[in-house]
Amino acid sequence: MNRTKVGVFLSTCGDQLSEILSFDALTQYVKEIPGVTLIVRSSEFWRGNGLQAIVDAIKAGKINRVVVAEGLPKLSEVKIVEAVEEAGLNPYLVEVIDIKDHCAWPHRDTPSEATEKAKAMLLAAIERAKLLEPIEKLEFPVLKSALVIGGGIAGMQAAEDLADLGFEVHLIEKEPFLGGLAARAGRFFPTDDCAICIQSPVSDVKTITHTSRKCVYRSGFSEVPNLNILTSSRVTGVEGGPGNYKVTIEKKPRYVNEQKCVTCDLCTAVCPVEVPDEYNARLKTRKAIYMNIPNVHPPVYVIDENVCKFHDCAKCVEVCPTKAIELNQKSEQITLNVGSVIVATGFQEFDSSIVKEYHYGHYQDVVTNLELARMIDGFGPTGGAIIRPSDRKSARKIVFIQCVGSRDKRYNAYCSSICCMISLKHAMLIKSAYPDTDITLCYIDIRTTGRQHEDYYERAREMGIKFVKGRPTEITRDPDKNRLIVDVEDALLHRFLELDADLVVLAPAMVTSEGTKELAQIGLGSLLDEDGFFREYNAKLRPTETIVRGLYICGGATFPKDAPTASLHAHSAALKAAKFMTTGKMIRDQRTAVVNEEYCGDCRFCPVTCPYGAINLVPTTEEHFVAQVSEIMCEGCGVCVGTCPLGAIELRHSRPNQMLAQMKALMSINGTAKPLVLAICCSECGHTAVDSSGMAMMQYPANVRVMKVPCTGILQVHQFLDAFKAGAQGVMVVGCKSDGCHYEVGSEKAEKKVELTRMLLKEFGIAPERLEMFNMVFIEGDKFAEAAQMMTERLEKLGSLQLAGGL
Amino acid sequence: MSSYALFLGCTIPARQPNYELSARKSLAKLGVELVDLANFTCCCPPPVQSIDLETSLAVAAYNICLAEEADLDMVTLCSGCFESLAMTNTMLKNDEELRARINRILTEAGKEFAGNKEVKHFLQVLVDDVGLKRLKQSVTRPLNNIKAAAFYGCHALRPSELLKLDDPERPRILENLIETLGAKSVEYRNKLKCCGGLLRGFSDDLALNLAKEKLANTAKAGADCIATLCPFCFIALDLGQLQIRSKLNETFNMPVLHYSELLSLALGIDPKELALETHKIKADGVVSKILRSR
Amino acid sequence: MNQAKAFSNVVTSRLGGETITACYQCGTCASSCPVAKITERFNPREVIKLSLLGEKDEVIAGDAIWLCCSCYNCQERCPQKVEIADVIYALRNIALKEGYIPNIYSEFASALSNDGRIVGVSKFVESKRPTLGLPPLQPTGMEALKKILSATGFTKLQKKEEKS
Repeated sequence: MNRTKVGVFLSTCGDQLSEILSFDALTQYVKEIPGVTLIVRSSEFWRGNGLQAIVDAIKAGKINRVVVAEGLPKLSEVKIVEAVEEAGLNPYLVEVIDIKDHCAWPHRDTPSEATEKAKAMLLAAIERAKLLEPIEKLEFPVLKSALVIGGGIAGMQAAEDLADLGFEVHLIEKEPFLGGLAARAGRFFPTDDCAICIQSPVSDVKTITHTSRKCVYRSGFSEVPNLNILTSSRVTGVEGGPGNYKVTIEKKPRYVNEQKCVTCDLCTAVCPVEVPDEYNARLKTRKAIYMNIPNVHPPVYVIDENVCKFHDCAKCVEVCPTKAIELNQKSEQITLNVGSVIVATGFQEFDSSIVKEYHYGHYQDVVTNLELARMIDGFGPTGGAIIRPSDRKSARKIVFIQCVGSRDKRYNAYCSSICCMISLKHAMLIKSAYPDTDITLCYIDIRTTGRQHEDYYERAREMGIKFVKGRPTEITRDPDKNRLIVDVEDALLHRFLELDADLVVLAPAMVTSEGTKELAQIGLGSLLDEDGFFREYNAKLRPTETIVRGLYICGGATFPKDAPTASLHAHSAALKAAKFMTTGKMIRDQRTAVVNEEYCGDCRFCPVTCPYGAINLVPTTEEHFVAQVSEIMCEGCGVCVGTCPLGAIELRHSRPNQMLAQMKALMSINGTAKPLVLAICCSECGHTAVDSSGMAMMQYPANVRVMKVPCTGILQVHQFLDAFKAGAQGVMVVGCKSDGCHYEVGSEKAEKKVELTRMLLKEFGIAPERLEMFNMVFIEGDKFAEAAQMMTERLEKLGSLQLAGGL
Repeated sequence: MSSYALFLGCTIPARQPNYELSARKSLAKLGVELVDLANFTCCCPPPVQSIDLETSLAVAAYNICLAEEADLDMVTLCSGCFESLAMTNTMLKNDEELRARINRILTEAGKEFAGNKEVKHFLQVLVDDVGLKRLKQSVTRPLNNIKAAAFYGCHALRPSELLKLDDPERPRILENLIETLGAKSVEYRNKLKCCGGLLRGFSDDLALNLAKEKLANTAKAGADCIATLCPFCFIALDLGQLQIRSKLNETFNMPVLHYSELLSLALGIDPKELALETHKIKADGVVSKILRSR
Repeated sequence: MNQAKAFSNVVTSRLGGETITACYQCGTCASSCPVAKITERFNPREVIKLSLLGEKDEVIAGDAIWLCCSCYNCQERCPQKVEIADVIYALRNIALKEGYIPNIYSEFASALSNDGRIVGVSKFVESKRPTLGLPPLQPTGMEALKKILSATGFTKLQKKEEKS
């Protein structure tokens, strides 16, 4: 192993720091440290002459490790590391510390103490630098093809975006036709225009004008090159990982050849099998061979294999002019290799029959909004007439009930966000077409929060639609008159009402679509939240992303949303997928976890703890497995390191020996009359809170020494004890807030380990208050300064800690 | 042969020998043993829960302890007792903290709630231990020409999460039991609505109002009698009819019989042994109708 | 601490009253309530609203809370799983501690403390049991009961309402 030659670069920050710190003393001190071969002082090192000095030193072979004491390390580090790499040295052999915000600024009132602390900081950086190892970047191929699961408006939009950008896109849809809920919904609020409308594709689809919107049936969407549409298809398995997913798909047979069908409708006329039409809320029947109207895509009939008599009948085969019907078609298993996956599986209405007091499914004239939408739709089963399913008479008195199964702790506690607008839309469409209809809407709250939604609500009131603030307790039926009675308290009037109704419309909760749970379990990881929706990584900062690279989610599958929001979501997911795939490769540096297989005890804790699902178990001998970390998926947090009871996992670039060296160095010089405190800070919120306290020049004593780790989750119990053995009188663990850990679970795990260690300390007869965890965010610099002050005072009261034996 | 500790409560021995007799006799005929334990107290139903909930839970738990000590499940005839005991039983079984809290009180009386016994309503014993099939076979006098309006009352069914006797919105247990006897179960408006029993003594006018609605709805549906399973409901609807006659000037003449009384008659027990004179609204009409049918 | 929060806390810290703050005033309980339908003197939604607003005196001194018939229909149907009937018990328990108690409840309390039953069995009725063919009544567990009532402070409660 080559001798390490450490170059130490001291920045005076335009000479400001030299007013507080004695750079001569620092230089003198550093000179004596073994392994240091070069010391340079300058105003700054992240640009100009300072940066050049580093580059020259590397090129001249004088140094092979770089330690920089800078003023803005989090930003300057980027420039320094870039230059180091260009100069020919591995960029991970660099350690930059913040001598301004972590030393000079917070301790400006005690300059000699600040200088002593700076010495300790430099020693720690140098000792760590000596133990650093070169780290390589790995390249992984990313296929430039995407799978979009779900052919509703979100899925279609995302697929179109990616196909337009030149990626190969496979769009799969479980139904025989595209369109999803939009096709059934008819119209969307607040514009009341067609629901099944998307942007025209940019692709060179001649004869299709590129307009702001078009109904899908003529948008040319299905003609976009690189877009492969598979209907009647479901994902049955997912293997592989980001950049290279191997997806198996089962495509059910249509029994009609898509290339031959001319949509003449002769087949339906002769088909003898008639069944209730589920698509049209069972308000009419359909044949075994059928097509949904409005037609979205493909314009080809399909046979319902559950009811068709196949060769016992085959009348449709005889009559088809182009011989398109193929009764012998079988299911196909298709395997696709894709670089990224977008899940756009949408939502469906909650099963209202569960809310027994409303008798859905029991009283025929109780329907849901989606069923009503089919009636309102001119294409629909009643040609636009609003009727009572029980006797097909016109419905002239309609009562809407909101929040059925929503905002209801018995079923779905959340608000489904769009149902108020949906009911208002339906009420107004009915009132426009049939002004004599008496409509009452029973609500708990009216939520019309989007743009132009409040006007929509006002228009409804202007049209004479009545509103009752009260959630009905039940719907009863008068069997003699065949009428429904809605039992509700008008809370504002303090009056009990028994609303007589022809038809009662329920606004059910929106829940994830059928098949979601199964999809989540087959190799996409359990990505569902407590309400059963696909969980976005972070709705504010990383919308439509999941914790798995290359896997994106959009539309109603993440939470019920209206069309404009679904559209935004689809574009977002497409963009993220495009960014991921566009270079055709993924570059990941190897600051990742590595398992020592000899030590691994097959305890199986780490695969469960890893927030990114980056750890798999691989068999070695029979029945014995060892953990293995995926270089692609590992995010370098170290939570697995902190979890492993045998210390079999280490995180490169934050190895235990590196951390121990830093601890010892930071505790080796005091220079104050106060007890030494080690503050172990996470690189996200913790360390930056220290920065911000310094930036704001908040004062705290110089006995507090800061050490950075990627995430506090990396810490093991024995490392806290090591800190005490190294000379710390007290230890602070500073991390993100537990519900805001940037690595999901690390902060929470660290809290548990701190608790455990405190129990141990108590057993050893050491005051457990010497160890404490603090959670804060960047802007809470004051919290850090206060904590540092408080800890110091506490330790002064506790007195000196004497440990038996040396280190 | 299954055995249960019979929990009588207060109202039944005080005012409803008819319920006690019919229950004991019918269960005896069906091969269910009822054991009379000593030292039961009031079960602490809603009137006592209104005074202090903690006391009610503790006393109810105490009563359950007696059954635990005798290694017997409990059966109640009164829905008020059922609600109090079954609710306490479930709550203490599921909530560790609450159980500890109540046990701290029970220590004073030398008892500890273990949570190893069940509390059942009379109806549940019929369905679980006898079964509808055997019940039907035991019927010697099918009630073929009787139209009975099933009235559950409130506390056999609710709070359903804790009592779990039947579906609180669409219960079937009582209707099934009525039909097993050969009678017809009649549907009527607002079947599951309260009879107002617990308001008696505090607000009689409201209580009678609610009872009147129930009587009107069952009469409208053409019922020969109302089948009850709670002594409070019985009093509200039976004695209540006399009060409705005098205070509200309305006469119904709707006999009210406990399910156990219908059951006893169907099993061939002599009506003279059932203390039917307790009924304020005479059940003679119904009884003769039953005796006539062969 | 403001009045509303203070009374809210009093209710949520009593057995039965824990869930009151979940109420969002939807009115399901009111339309489920058989009593509210026939009198303006009681409406469960309003009782909860007044409690959450901190109107303690109006709630516990009034007779509204005593008009609940404990049918539990409201609790069954509440979409926020507010244990409304149990909250009413909690409010009654609080009212009682402050001395507001209707006569019939003080009768129940006395009967329980003295005889172990809220409805007493008269000697006359007891004597008729053999003729009817009923086995003799078992003794009531007064000793154990008295110890329990003392431990929960029930006997103290009873004394308090005798004064008012």
